[in-house]
Amino acid sequence: MGWKSSFRVLTVVYIALLSVAACGQNSVDLDGHAVNPFGASPAKVVVLVFVRRDCPVSGRYAPIIQQISQRFADSANFFLVYPDKSETPDAIRKSVSDYGYQLPVLRDPEHRLIKLSHVQITPEVAVFDRSRKLVYDGRIDDWYIDPSRSRPAPTTHELEDAIHAAQSGIALARNEIRGVGCYIADVE
Amino acid sequence: MKFLILRSEVCLAGLALAAVVGPLFAHPTPVAGSQTENSQTQVTFNRDVAPIIFHSCSACHRPGEAAPFSLLTYSDVKKHARQIADVTKSRAMPPWLPEPQQLRFADEQRLSDAEIDRIAKWVEQGAVEGDPKDLPPAPKFVEGWRLGKPDLILTARKPFTLAPSGTDTYWNFVFPVPIEGARWVKAIEIRPGDKRYVHHANILVDRAEESRKRETEPGAGFGGMEIRIESQVFDPDSHLLFWKPGTIPATEPDGMALRLDKGTDLILNTHLQPSGKPEMIQPSIGLYFTDQPATKFPMLLPLENDAKLDIPPGEKNFVVSDDFTLPIDVNLMAIYPHAHYLGKDIHAFATLPDGTKKTLIHIPQWNLNWQAVYRYAEPVLLPKGTTVSMRYTYDNSDDNPMNPNHPPVRVVGGNRSTDEMCHLWLQVLPVNFDAAQGDPRMELQEALARHNVQKNPADFEAHYNLAAMLQGKNRLGESIGEYEAALRLRPNDATANNALGAALLADGQPRPATAILQMAIEERPEYVDAHYNFGIALTQMGDMQHAAEQFEVVLKLRPNDASAEANLGAALAEMGKYSEAESHFKRALQIDPNQPDAKANLEAVRKAMSAH
Repeated sequence: MGWKSSFRVLTVVYIALLSVAACGQNSVDLDGHAVNPFGASPAKVVVLVFVRRDCPVSGRYAPIIQQISQRFADSANFFLVYPDKSETPDAIRKSVSDYGYQLPVLRDPEHRLIKLSHVQITPEVAVFDRSRKLVYDGRIDDWYIDPSRSRPAPTTHELEDAIHAAQSGIALARNEIRGVGCYIADVE
Repeated sequence: MKFLILRSEVCLAGLALAAVVGPLFAHPTPVAGSQTENSQTQVTFNRDVAPIIFHSCSACHRPGEAAPFSLLTYSDVKKHARQIADVTKSRAMPPWLPEPQQLRFADEQRLSDAEIDRIAKWVEQGAVEGDPKDLPPAPKFVEGWRLGKPDLILTARKPFTLAPSGTDTYWNFVFPVPIEGARWVKAIEIRPGDKRYVHHANILVDRAEESRKRETEPGAGFGGMEIRIESQVFDPDSHLLFWKPGTIPATEPDGMALRLDKGTDLILNTHLQPSGKPEMIQPSIGLYFTDQPATKFPMLLPLENDAKLDIPPGEKNFVVSDDFTLPIDVNLMAIYPHAHYLGKDIHAFATLPDGTKKTLIHIPQWNLNWQAVYRYAEPVLLPKGTTVSMRYTYDNSDDNPMNPNHPPVRVVGGNRSTDEMCHLWLQVLPVNFDAAQGDPRMELQEALARHNVQKNPADFEAHYNLAAMLQGKNRLGESIGEYEAALRLRPNDATANNALGAALLADGQPRPATAILQMAIEERPEYVDAHYNFGIALTQMGDMQHAAEQFEVVLKLRPNDASAEANLGAALAEMGKYSEAESHFKRALQIDPNQPDAKANLEAVRKAMSAH
């Protein structure tokens, strides 16, 4: 029985690695250079943060995303991912600067990272462990209730919990909780 | 020779809750008739969805306006198609909180069920653009000041820097109005700065220069969700000057202009929401004047019961009520409900003398972020004897996602955003009254003051306001009794002691007045009005030396007080110091050429001097 179980896990990892290899060639930085976010720092967790420049909820999360990325700088590599292929690198660059982001930025015009990450909304995150298995995708926390209502402060912290889980290997109770914001499927 | 032609009126201050104003909603054009829809019909943007978007969304969703992205073209709308289907289905957008009701509001921003279904079907079917021939003309909007160039533009002297993160911020900007005399305002346009970060804004009229004292330096502004302003005379707040995203300024109805005087400040109370990056907020206010003075005088009628707000943690249905019976006929023009984050169900209704009940407003899911002033499409006649009622339900449990406390804690009434409020302002216009019987608003205000005293006998402000009202009607005995009741609750309150002193003076009791006024001065040594009244009391008792000293204190604190100069001159003249007196009468007339006492006394003192 134990043997079957191990085999299943290995299969999943293998498929994920294949997908990553494929998508690495399709995501680009703001200068148009191909970037594989899973290539560097194999000892670190990878966090992809999907944002839209025209999504106000994405904007309001900027300080939170920046803070969490700094707190986990030693153990996780964060990437901002912009899914809208009609956005120009200059417009994204300006937005990144306005919001004070200190993170590497990727464009995902073919939506390869999106498919790999299962995300649907901005802002949502995808957290991959050191073996590059997707351990969580979805909201950062429960700050927003719906697009027009936010709590005074979040009461759950899914992104941080997911990074801890990815580091420790302990499974999360829920590995997918949809976020509140703007639909990725609405942009090309 | 007697020189005591002293100004008879005395300075008093009435506490009044400052108000809010003239919401000015969009005037929509009718939506194109809905199609006959069935599940087989192909819904297209150009034919079916664009009319809804142009009519109900684009006014805010366009560059420079409050909404975070534009909805002006197919491409704009397609980029948010699923989101639009979601937020229209949940009725989060367009933001319109009241349920449909018999008494209609002006400029309702509520989509019909058919419109919501049409958007949903369009998204389900793949958000198709459709035939370009079907696209209605793009909506036209006026750029810049909506009512044309204002007669006077006031811009905040210093911008406020909104932090990138944290909780919502409430900031007050003080705008002194540089006018030399009374002006009548027919419209006010609020430009709140970057509209994307200003959730709503209220203008409060400060006729007593109270708010500017709260600034650390002129123009700096000050924080706070709710502010109170004392008014010095019977001048009840009359207009709801309110801005929220989508507001289009409107001109006040004929005869209902707002009076502004020299020295009046406009306070813009703003609710700001951090955006994720630092934002500079620097609002402007445009004033449009008219030469036509007001002939109709509306009044803001506040119902409230904050004293009953003591909500235990975990309580899901805490109900607070207030019921006020109108002593006169009024036309209800507008309504403005207000609660904070625990507010859940907001309900106001009127019970007419014949027993008929009318819902005035019902908001089943309160959302502070989208609070608004609601104007009725037609004035609502509420005859004398109508009882206006409010029933607000609060949820202080973890089920309320807006609860600022997690886990919940006991919450009481108060002005901070973490406190609760239970307020309902009605803008009413007295009708069917006999002008010869006096200002009908006085009767309304007195009834309200008595109602508040009865509702909460331990409410200092209720007693104080009733006393001020009675004093205004020259019912001095009753007024003194109410001031004394207020002072039993707060014995050292300088404002109430000054007002009681003034009432005693008006009642011809200078001796007890001196003791009371001294208490006011002891509590607040730089209280100009108390020094002035103390000077009057001493004058009436014949103590000219000390009276003169008090008027000198007044002039030190308020150098351009013509009445104090005139009274100082009169006291000096009484003491035979004619030459000194003459210079003070002259100075009084320099400050105010129409100062009546100084004019008469200057002539008298010159005669006296020439006689010697």
